[in-house]
Amino acid sequence: MDPYYLALTTVTLASIYGLLALGISIIWSSLGMINMAQGFTFALSGYGAWLVAHNISTNGFVVVAGGVLTGALAGALIGAVAFLPLYDKPNFALRSLIATLAMSLFGGQCLLWVFGPRVKALPKIFGYGNFHLGTAVASREKIGAIVCSTILLLITLAWIKSSRRGLEIRAMMQNPEGAALVGVGLRSTAMAVMIVTGAMAGLAAVLLSQTFFISPFAGTTPSVKGMVVALAGGLGSVAGALIAAVLMGFIEAITAVGLGGQYVLIMQFLFIIAVLLVRPRGIAGMIEHTRE
Amino acid sequence: MTEVLRIEGLSAGYGPLSVLHGVSLTVRAGERIGIIGLNGHGKSTLLRAIAGLTGWQSGSIKLNGVEIGGTRSQGPGRYTHRIVRMGLALMPQGDALFHGLTVADHLDSGAFTPRAWRERRQRRERVLAIFPQLGKLLSQPIGRLSGGERRMVSLGRGLMDDPKLLLIDEPSLGLAPKISKSLIEALMRIDLKDGAMVIAEQNLSLLDGKVSRLVGLHAGKLKGGSLAPDLPLGEYAHAHRR
Repeated sequence: MDPYYLALTTVTLASIYGLLALGISIIWSSLGMINMAQGFTFALSGYGAWLVAHNISTNGFVVVAGGVLTGALAGALIGAVAFLPLYDKPNFALRSLIATLAMSLFGGQCLLWVFGPRVKALPKIFGYGNFHLGTAVASREKIGAIVCSTILLLITLAWIKSSRRGLEIRAMMQNPEGAALVGVGLRSTAMAVMIVTGAMAGLAAVLLSQTFFISPFAGTTPSVKGMVVALAGGLGSVAGALIAAVLMGFIEAITAVGLGGQYVLIMQFLFIIAVLLVRPRGIAGMIEHTRE
Repeated sequence: MTEVLRIEGLSAGYGPLSVLHGVSLTVRAGERIGIIGLNGHGKSTLLRAIAGLTGWQSGSIKLNGVEIGGTRSQGPGRYTHRIVRMGLALMPQGDALFHGLTVADHLDSGAFTPRAWRERRQRRERVLAIFPQLGKLLSQPIGRLSGGERRMVSLGRGLMDDPKLLLIDEPSLGLAPKISKSLIEALMRIDLKDGAMVIAEQNLSLLDGKVSRLVGLHAGKLKGGSLAPDLPLGEYAHAHRR
């Protein structure tokens, strides 16, 4: 087993799962909504990028921008349909869960209807060939995926950390009433969260479509994995989600190499069950515990 | 003198429960008003109704002449941020702080207009002049602070964007008498400019002689001060006892 290959695959998968999981985690903690439609955002962004590649340009930058913008639009759509009309109604958590699940299924069928069941492939935006780092060999698409998602993650984290909007999101995560008392509009902030997390899912879609094909329900498995990563990390914790993403990426890489690809999901779900049995609040629970 | 707040016939409550019954109150610029009443008589509900945080409400509330009351059926808190942006600052019971954020983050969160956000460092200094204790704690997460320091953060957060009307709900709640006293003194040091301050409190002696007017709130109705603005404290207490 080649340790370089293992490490590289781990980081590649971790960066993509991290994008999805962080989105789910931020939406949960700031909006109190479990976004089951993240997979639909993912699939729609894939098609958005594919349309851009076919009709406008196959330039890598343009394709990525197409996917990210489609993701942001899909996020806004989910927010407008599943959050705005429901958030002040009783039982919001359950209602929004069902609403987003319905959107996910409905959206998937729409994609099937519009684009048909045949899978589509995105152009190789990072080109073909390999990078050589000493004895290690890295394919361009892996390096590209790591670089792109790291850049978007860093931009998002810096934005949350230092901008007024980011502070509003952090405030809303902790205390929605306190946030309203410092002039934070719940509705507009929620839409900002949905747009940013949608963009993150859009980028994840373009990056993952470098290895996998685009299909109407292509988002299901990645979004389930993103959900698992978010849960294992402890919903609402950025650090926990990132650690969990690395662990999940590692499990996927080592299982695929050691046991075979068909065992990947089994091992990942065993892992989350184990984490939640020991730490119901996820990895973040452990971090916070040691901090105290 | 200009009226900062004019409340007429305000009733408010939660679900089937009616807490305030036709309250009318006028607050003029430069005034510091103390609302005195026992637990459960509607002090918090009055302040929360002004901020649009009660379950339902009817009647008129005018903030600087602009109607912010009326019947709201869209759920509590939906318009609170707009009322806050019009110049209201409420320090609620329990402080409504953001767990895990630092003191500096809290103060910055109160600077919601673009101008205040740009000037947030200078404005922090202004708040620190009122609550010097917070100076050393700026980078501390809120969980490390004592109850008194947390209340100062909650107050300071509300002062960051030049509020016209400052509503303070039981500043002494859960604090040692000495700390409550120094907190009230800090509140009196705040420069109101053309704004006003309303303090709800059950400890009469804390506000005695410090505020410009005392109003009693009993069973959801205002007593005393709102009818006779300059009623001395002794007479008020007498009227209240009867």
